[in-house]
Amino acid sequence: MPAVAVAVVVGVLFFLGYRYYSTYLAERIYGLDPAFVTPAHEFKDGVDFVPTNKHVVFGHHFTSVAGAAPIVGPAIAVFWGWGPALAWIVLGTIFAAGVHDFGSLAVSLRHKAKNIGTIAQDVVSRRARTLFLMIIFFLLTLVNAVFAVVIANLFVANPGAVIPIVVEIPLAMFIGQYIYKTRSAALIPSLIGVVGLYLLIWVGQQYPVELDTVAGALGMEPRTLWVILLFAYTFVASRLPVWMLLQPRDYINSHQLFIALGVIALGMLVGWNTIVAPVVNDVPEDSPSIFPFLFITIACGAISGFHSLVSSGTTAKQIDKETDARYVGYMGAVGEGSLATGAVLATTAGVVATRGEWDELYPDFATASGGAVGSFVNGVGAFANNLGVPLDLAVIFAAVVVISFAATTMDTGVRLQRYIVQEIAELAGWHKLARNLTLAGVVAVVVPMAMALLPGGGEQGYTFGVLWQLFGTTNQLTAGLALSVVAVWVAKMNRNIIPIVIPLVFLLVMTTWALIVNLKNFILDDQWVLAPLDAIIFVLAMWLVVEAAMALRGTSGSRTPDSSDQPVDDGSDVPGRR
Amino acid sequence: MRVVLVRPWTDARSGGGCCGAEVRDGVCFDGRVDSGAPTDVHAHARRNADTDADVRLVAETYLRLQQELPGVDVQIVGVDNTAYLLPTVFRALRARYGVVVAVRGLNRATTAGAVLVDGEFVGHLTTLGVDSAIAEIRVRCLVR
Repeated sequence: MPAVAVAVVVGVLFFLGYRYYSTYLAERIYGLDPAFVTPAHEFKDGVDFVPTNKHVVFGHHFTSVAGAAPIVGPAIAVFWGWGPALAWIVLGTIFAAGVHDFGSLAVSLRHKAKNIGTIAQDVVSRRARTLFLMIIFFLLTLVNAVFAVVIANLFVANPGAVIPIVVEIPLAMFIGQYIYKTRSAALIPSLIGVVGLYLLIWVGQQYPVELDTVAGALGMEPRTLWVILLFAYTFVASRLPVWMLLQPRDYINSHQLFIALGVIALGMLVGWNTIVAPVVNDVPEDSPSIFPFLFITIACGAISGFHSLVSSGTTAKQIDKETDARYVGYMGAVGEGSLATGAVLATTAGVVATRGEWDELYPDFATASGGAVGSFVNGVGAFANNLGVPLDLAVIFAAVVVISFAATTMDTGVRLQRYIVQEIAELAGWHKLARNLTLAGVVAVVVPMAMALLPGGGEQGYTFGVLWQLFGTTNQLTAGLALSVVAVWVAKMNRNIIPIVIPLVFLLVMTTWALIVNLKNFILDDQWVLAPLDAIIFVLAMWLVVEAAMALRGTSGSRTPDSSDQPVDDGSDVPGRR
Repeated sequence: MRVVLVRPWTDARSGGGCCGAEVRDGVCFDGRVDSGAPTDVHAHARRNADTDADVRLVAETYLRLQQELPGVDVQIVGVDNTAYLLPTVFRALRARYGVVVAVRGLNRATTAGAVLVDGEFVGHLTTLGVDSAIAEIRVRCLVR
């Protein structure tokens, strides 16, 4: 089947989801009111709280939710066949991610634009704050660990990408300083940066950087050395002001995002690649079963709890009219689902020409997950090749795009982890850790680095897919917490909670099921690093189930008698109407 | 008529995409990160002297424009929000001046701290100052 046809069908389904289901959510479930005074108006300060045009907010929101994560999960999950992977992406985006992202934004708007953690503390229980911090701690730990492994693997497999990526750092800082000092426009310097980056791809191809000798002298694998170097870099980078490195590099990356999306779409159209992977793959007997693992492997792209952190606390402060939340929140989920669809098509249609070649890339779960990002890179490279770019350069181009996004994710991930370490330290009364940035930064770096490096699973380290699944699990738990908050809020308004409870229950069942199966496997395989981690996350999942159930049960006696038009929350957080 | 105030460079709010966006407001609890109080353990990451000055400038301009020119649509846009800035400015300028001018205007529209009136670059907020910026915008309003 032509990849373009699949893309068109998915696009139509997303359109229908936005047109009809999001309207149903807005009108019947969340009860959005155009006359409601949003926090942006109530607390308008011109700094954080600014009533903003919905297209402006969407631009910011979309770039905050679209990144590397929806690439990796789908690239692994096509192991079970492109049909189930795509079905979960489409259904997940329409009925889970849309509900979650939109709902997180809507509930935050009704609670003074507070973040989900704070609202959970208010409407679920005070314990929910601790639960929130614990889940986010493990989420960020695993985010940083998996992306370090992703980048290290790509550097080892594509040594030509090292020079462009390394030089991008001073290049971005120089461009940032130039824009800042001279107050000049950012577009042309950043485009020059992109061109410079792509010229460096040629240099990188001529002078590939391999660490085999140095790593050998140090008695470690090249991948291990890359992981250590990456964490050393992020420790330093996360201490820099955002505007010095992160912003200019992100600016360059934003151009790369649109270039990459254009290359995928145009390359697919010009090359008219057909999907060679099976719709449903006949996987080996010892593979993880499709239920529940598909739904844990694809988190970002089907539903990502991280989006609730963007929606609440950040985007919510800029929403002009409450009804704008539908466009910004739901469309953000659709945008991420579209990226995930691109990843499925690149790894099933772009990467190889025949079914036999595809089977060699996806023979078993360990090989499939270890090479998934490489398959995506090669797939995008093939699409670029359709447009006339030489294949070897095209592959390095795709690797540079993925590594750029992954590196920015690590930068911000370590920075956020430092905040979380400080928050937990404050909560626990460890004031020295809370106030010592270096110490908090060391904790933020050492824990995920240990996860990325700790041995297990044989000579090649544990299966990357397993680490990725643990990340997916914590991301789904974050989504579960956000959906619990949204469900309690909707229940208090005496509205139908089924559209929220269905994805909530589905996620909790899939995550706990996967955690139990994995825990058993880890114990049987003597994986004494992953087993305790899995057990801790399982306890958090159980805790979440109990909190959600208690909170929902508690709403049964406190529902407002008639709230079909006027949403009511837990008491003090209902600003007036305009 | 639409006035766009482009956020200053130091007021960066960029994000790194899914699971990597810089969402400190999304993970830190109220009472510290938002308050700037002595117990604000994140104050170092939130603001510095340059940022404070630039942010105050935009905020003051924004709030005064809302008061003094109530009929004007005022938006504060991040410099990294090219998905909004570029098409909006291009459409606005092309309608009045044609494609060439519109393309030229795209670059200036991405100047951090810029003041744009219907896509047209009026000046740099830190150079103009609040009073001059508002006066300049008022003149453009009268012309149109």
